[in-house]
Amino acid sequence: MSALDEGRIHGRLGWKGLDSPYVFLLPAVLLFGMFAVYPIVRSLFLSFFHYEFLRPDEMHWIGLANYREILADERITGWPGIVRPQGQLSIWQIALYPLLVFWLTINSPGGAFWNTIRFTLMYVPLAVVLPLILAVFVDRAGRLSTLFRTLNFIPIVVSVAVISIIWMWVYHPEYGIANTLLRKILGADAGLTWLSDPKLAMPAIVIMCLWHGLGFNMLLYLVGLQRIPTEVVEAARVDGATGLKAFASITLPLLKPTVLLVGLLAGIGALKVFGQMFIMTQGGPGDSTLSVVLYLYNVAFSYGKFRFGYASAIAWALAAFIFLVTLVAFRLTRGRDQ
Amino acid sequence: MTRDKLKRWSDRGLLYGALTLVSLASVLPFVWIILSSVKPHAELYSKTLTFLPQQYTLENYTKMFERMVGFGYYYRNSIIVSFGTVILTLFAGSLAAYALSRFRFKGDNAIFLLFLGTIMVPGEVGLIGQYELLSAYKLLNTLTGLTLSYTAFNLALTIFIMRGVFSSVPQEMLDAARVDGCSWWESFWQIMVPMGASGLAAAGTLVFLNAWNEFIFALTMNNWTDEARTLTVGIQLLQGQWQHWDYGVLFSSVMLSFLPVIVLFLLLQKTFMRGLTAGAVKG
Repeated sequence: MSALDEGRIHGRLGWKGLDSPYVFLLPAVLLFGMFAVYPIVRSLFLSFFHYEFLRPDEMHWIGLANYREILADERITGWPGIVRPQGQLSIWQIALYPLLVFWLTINSPGGAFWNTIRFTLMYVPLAVVLPLILAVFVDRAGRLSTLFRTLNFIPIVVSVAVISIIWMWVYHPEYGIANTLLRKILGADAGLTWLSDPKLAMPAIVIMCLWHGLGFNMLLYLVGLQRIPTEVVEAARVDGATGLKAFASITLPLLKPTVLLVGLLAGIGALKVFGQMFIMTQGGPGDSTLSVVLYLYNVAFSYGKFRFGYASAIAWALAAFIFLVTLVAFRLTRGRDQ
Repeated sequence: MTRDKLKRWSDRGLLYGALTLVSLASVLPFVWIILSSVKPHAELYSKTLTFLPQQYTLENYTKMFERMVGFGYYYRNSIIVSFGTVILTLFAGSLAAYALSRFRFKGDNAIFLLFLGTIMVPGEVGLIGQYELLSAYKLLNTLTGLTLSYTAFNLALTIFIMRGVFSSVPQEMLDAARVDGCSWWESFWQIMVPMGASGLAAAGTLVFLNAWNEFIFALTMNNWTDEARTLTVGIQLLQGQWQHWDYGVLFSSVMLSFLPVIVLFLLLQKTFMRGLTAGAVKG
């Protein structure tokens, strides 16, 4: 605060007429107010109304009914009551986490919310760990590290739309790379149907997203690794800590803020996943890859009724959920520091 | 001694081997698309799959330009909307950042917090309100509407990045300009913009990528006519129309839609990476 205040010009020290900060702010405030703040607030307002875009005359206040409909909507919450987490997670429950993910993968309760959770649970842990390993390797590659960094970064500059289309061919049952590799390496003769298999479609999309985000997360870790003073690592080496041990006791704790950042960005991104499903599977087969944002998009624009009220409620419920997850993540990591 | 050396060599070998494998996996799908786009129709659909083309041909590209009429529009629209967004966002955003970093006035913190606060709100929340708004002002399916919408959603991030950049410009330079009779407006163009050039470039590439790659807003707002579609929306439409007809043509269109961004990235690597990390550390 004070550092930023230093040298800032106060009104009495001289600006007048049009040559003032208010004028400098004007374009941004106007654009932002009209095209960002207004739509967001308007969506919140609409979420309390029965409102179909094509029938504006029938618009009327219904209170929380849209939000109640979310909880009762089977296409969002799946088979009711099957996987509602109860109480606080104990140590052994956390230890069983991989099993839970596996179970959710095989045995989804269905519904957009659980699909999105399933996607997030599969994606985030791997999106945190794999780029970290890659970053540590790239960091040690000496003169070639720039080359490896560049090559791995390429996918992230290409849009989700184009990536999804490319990967539809990767997963093509006959001509795709995935099955070609399976046939060549494992000697399997048929290969998998990937995107048209209700159990495989979601993991297939997760693999694609991991591949797409790998370079970006690697870069964040590389930035974090460069911030660690070399003296610290040297000192540890003198003390006899080498390899994995040094990494776990020195590097990893110092890298914690970056790990949190990567995890949080991955988590928020995963909860908002849309384009991949829209392009590759349209939420299918069945509803097995229907994500929350895809469902709200369909409710608003594809199912014909243009239910803007209900779709707004879904959007705001998702935003609230994301906010909650962010808050919990911050609390958990801060708690352990003390 | 030699054993140590041997171990170090094998460690190095393992490291480079693993890195080469992962890096190949990162570029393989792109290479595969590029190679496939120059294969003749018969080879693409033959029983024995080939990686390297047995025969090179440009027929897919000529066919694409003949039959995929919309493709030219999509390309043009993406360029107009992306560059429009970058220019508008950098102008309005850096001017606001100048005001917020260099002046003290009533409500300055409140305004900054308002900008900062919306970074946390997912853009999808504004989707429906945005659609209504653009529809009311007849801006649906126009490049102006999409540009304004992208600008608004990239402003907060730009202001946040540029405020940090402008704060580190030495005060003496502004004072000297003031003594020479510069107005604040002139100081902005003559001091802040040149001093913050690399920050502007980083923010610019971030905004460009966001606009060029954006999907859900473009799909919602600009999806009625070919004249309004951007590349991301157009390419998935072409995919839907052509996947049962001709892979080769699709391969060539996909190849043309990712090539410019990748080339741009390879040319401006440092700026890209700086922009993208600056965008990530926002939270």
